[in-house]
Amino acid sequence: MRELLRKLRFLLRRDQFEKDLDDEMRHHLALKAAAEGSAEQANRHFGNITLLKEESRTMWTWTFVEQLAQDIRYALRAMAVNPLFTTMAVLSLALGIGANTAIYSFLDAILMRALPVERPQELVILKWRAKDMPAVVHGLNGSRSGAISPNYPFAAYETLRSNQNVLSTMFAYASAWGLNIVVHEQAEVVQGLYVSGGFYSGLGVPPAAGRLIQDNDDRPGATPVTVISYNYWQRRFSSNANAIGQSILINKVPFTIAGVSAPGFFGVDASVAPNVFIPLHAAPLLAQSPGEDGQRMFFNHNFYWVEMMGRLRPGVSIQQAQTALAAQFHSYVESTASTAKEKIDMPALWLQEGASGLDSLRERYSQPLYLLMAMVALILTIACMNIANLLLARSAARRREMAVRLSLGAGRLRIVRQLLTESVVLSLLGGVLGLFVAFWGIQAITWLLANGRENFTLHANLSLPVLGFTLALAIITGIIFGLAPAIQSTKIDLTPALKETRASAPRGRLRHAIGANRFLIVAQIALSLLLVIAANLFVRTVSNLNKIDLGFNRENILIFSLNARQAGYKDAALGRFYADMRDRFRTIPGVRSVGLSDFPLIAHYWSSQDVVIPGTQPREGKRDQTCLLNVDESFLSTMQIPILLGRGIEEHDMASPRVAVVTEKFATTFFGKENPVGRMIGIGNPKKPADIEIIGVAKTTHYNALTGEIPTVVYTPYTQNPIRQMFFELRTAGDPLALTKTVRQIVDQTGTGVPITNINTQARQIDQTITQERTFADLCTGFAALALLIACVGLYGTMAYAVAQRTNEIGIRMALGAERRGIIWMVLREVLALVSAGLLIGLAAAWETTHFLAPLLYGTKPNDPQAISLAVAILIAAALAAGYTPAWRASCIDPMTALRHE
Amino acid sequence: MEQRPDIPPGTLCMLILKTLARLGPMHGYGIAQHIHQISGDVLQVEEGSLYPALQRMLIKGWVAGEWKQSENNRRARFYSLTPQGRKQLASEIKEFERVMAAIVRVIQPA
Repeated sequence: MRELLRKLRFLLRRDQFEKDLDDEMRHHLALKAAAEGSAEQANRHFGNITLLKEESRTMWTWTFVEQLAQDIRYALRAMAVNPLFTTMAVLSLALGIGANTAIYSFLDAILMRALPVERPQELVILKWRAKDMPAVVHGLNGSRSGAISPNYPFAAYETLRSNQNVLSTMFAYASAWGLNIVVHEQAEVVQGLYVSGGFYSGLGVPPAAGRLIQDNDDRPGATPVTVISYNYWQRRFSSNANAIGQSILINKVPFTIAGVSAPGFFGVDASVAPNVFIPLHAAPLLAQSPGEDGQRMFFNHNFYWVEMMGRLRPGVSIQQAQTALAAQFHSYVESTASTAKEKIDMPALWLQEGASGLDSLRERYSQPLYLLMAMVALILTIACMNIANLLLARSAARRREMAVRLSLGAGRLRIVRQLLTESVVLSLLGGVLGLFVAFWGIQAITWLLANGRENFTLHANLSLPVLGFTLALAIITGIIFGLAPAIQSTKIDLTPALKETRASAPRGRLRHAIGANRFLIVAQIALSLLLVIAANLFVRTVSNLNKIDLGFNRENILIFSLNARQAGYKDAALGRFYADMRDRFRTIPGVRSVGLSDFPLIAHYWSSQDVVIPGTQPREGKRDQTCLLNVDESFLSTMQIPILLGRGIEEHDMASPRVAVVTEKFATTFFGKENPVGRMIGIGNPKKPADIEIIGVAKTTHYNALTGEIPTVVYTPYTQNPIRQMFFELRTAGDPLALTKTVRQIVDQTGTGVPITNINTQARQIDQTITQERTFADLCTGFAALALLIACVGLYGTMAYAVAQRTNEIGIRMALGAERRGIIWMVLREVLALVSAGLLIGLAAAWETTHFLAPLLYGTKPNDPQAISLAVAILIAAALAAGYTPAWRASCIDPMTALRHE
Repeated sequence: MEQRPDIPPGTLCMLILKTLARLGPMHGYGIAQHIHQISGDVLQVEEGSLYPALQRMLIKGWVAGEWKQSENNRRARFYSLTPQGRKQLASEIKEFERVMAAIVRVIQPA
């Protein structure tokens, strides 16, 4: 180690060392001359000064490095001599390594990255689980998300926080969702996060400007302050320091900007990245519905809404902390459960590692990403095999060169090392080019995944760990594909190899090389088959999803939302505002009709309540629940949802009495074969009288998603229920998005400070719910095509080489009267033999592995015979296409030339 | 030209180390002179070859070099033994004696 440092110092101060040596020798000679009388005499016994200096110098430098440099130079020369081989190898490596790097960068972005905070490994997230949604828990919607939740009552947070034995600090936060913010008299909707006073100090992040939210700000009656994100500061305040202390309107309430959080700080969930942070106790100021008053938020012991994180004390394990906190939470819950029913299923606390923050991105993308990673690994394997193949062929051609070097005394190890250097140089070049492929690939995949969404938060880039991954990958692939050919090329019989003339066909050992060659082709075809089958399955999945009958017409609908509640409208005025806006949109040329609903269909929105139907038996063991949609009188006709029985909602229904249109599914679920029209139902509190009359039955439509069971749905007039934001559905004559500008103008003209958000088309909205499937189909098709291309290039190369080897034999055959067709068939037969072997192995492998895809498929099975036979057909066709050129060329051999070939 | 025996291969390093161990810091010429004199003119170091050897020992950390004024009032590099060099010397001497003993056993008249 010291030795290395000394050598490095030599490299840095080379001139000084040279001068020292020179001085030293001069000094020696001077003394010697003085002693022996003449300088000439002295020189004679000293030796060759230049040589001695050279020798001294080699003591300081590294032979290893020098040889490496020599090998690299040689490798580059060898690559330049064979540009076709080099281009093909580097290109296929670039594609393989690039695809791997791109997918890995996404994995890195969501799985490996820690929160940009102090000592993230100490953080833990507090969650609870229960069998079903516990009765003791209020404020959480339905049990659809499973009974795992991060939400707690505020009182539980205070109780748990008082225990400082296991966690050194604990802080709380809750999503504020989209907030209406007016800055410089311009309104927009941005994401907000409520945070407790200890949030920033607990995470240990500094402000970029001003100060952050402190305990003082987070108490009832404190002056409303907010911290804005660095991005938002840049975007809306041009990073101007005078933003600090400015007043901005949040949901019409003035807040003072206290500071700016650090650049790159996104809170605790990378998928949300809020722009404003507001003290928890300011939440009631921004409340939009009566259920969100301060009394309920901070004093109701059953209202679950805040999320918590804590920091483990040094030396405390996550299990120890969980045991302590779970016991404490258990006694808290017990004290809040008043009835026996509430004590049956109670939430149990558990801790999750919090180093990488909340895991919403991870949950959504980790499984598909691992699958994609496996696919790109397959592609790289195929590419490696291809290059190994090319190298094997080339090592046959370089037999003479190797024989000469070996016979001149080069060590085998030295030759293997040199050949490995060549392949690693090749793969490093491929890696560098692969970075460009990856850069482009990341953008393409981001574009595919975002699928038109503006607030897409999964950002991957070529970070340092990703670059490290690429480098490692390049070196490893270089060694993997280079090792076998390198070892093989040194195992030659010297004498016959030396006797070979340049033109003569190598024999003997080469048979072995060709054997390995064929084996690699078979393996490549098998792997390609896997990818092609997967691509087929995903394409079928997407086409199945697109064929689903929605129950309404998705084409030519523009959807967007307005939230006038946040701009200060309430109750009747709110309803009037929306109706008024709808009437204005109706006048836009090209708009056929306009509907209103509190959220769009098939957009993952979900709202459900208890339903009571007098005169029917409550179903055994099940809570009767139904999904809801608040609509106006023209929603059903705009969406072209037909009324099957009774009538639709009409203008006079908007006021009173309370009415509803139910779906056919609702009718059959709750009324069986009876006609539900005219019957009364109750929604919400089961103790209230059933005061809603069913006036009609509409055709069943998909509600929140394309897949999964369709729920029962009740359409009610939006004016009869509490509402906040509303979505507008504009049925248009032409391209819906072309109207965006006009719609914006109309909204701006009202001057009410209501920003327009969530602009989309209904068709694209639906498409975005199947983004994952679509992305898979697109990527997988691309990957399969790539794999097929690489494998075909390999097949082509092998066949072309085989034909060249057999020129002589083919010439003799033709001289003896073989037909051209016969020759073509002879070569193609060989191609087919290789392909069949590959297909057989591939089919066996597919049988074993495709079931991993099952959760990602829709309407097709992992071993779908149609998909598999199509894949087999594609592979055979591609292989024949690749094999035909060499076959045709073989048939064009002129017997005379061929016989003279030797 | 008069033929003088070369020093046995591999022993130059040991001779330099021993010289430095005995006499303390010395420059290259001094080392050559010393080896020459002590061996009773038998061992003739090809003086130039001292320098590659000294460079190697510098890298290995067996000797340290320091620039000082020499007897003829010029700057010269004085080499001195490091603790590591002392260890190396001991092991080289041991090894040398072992080999010598073996050789002696072989050539001794029976």
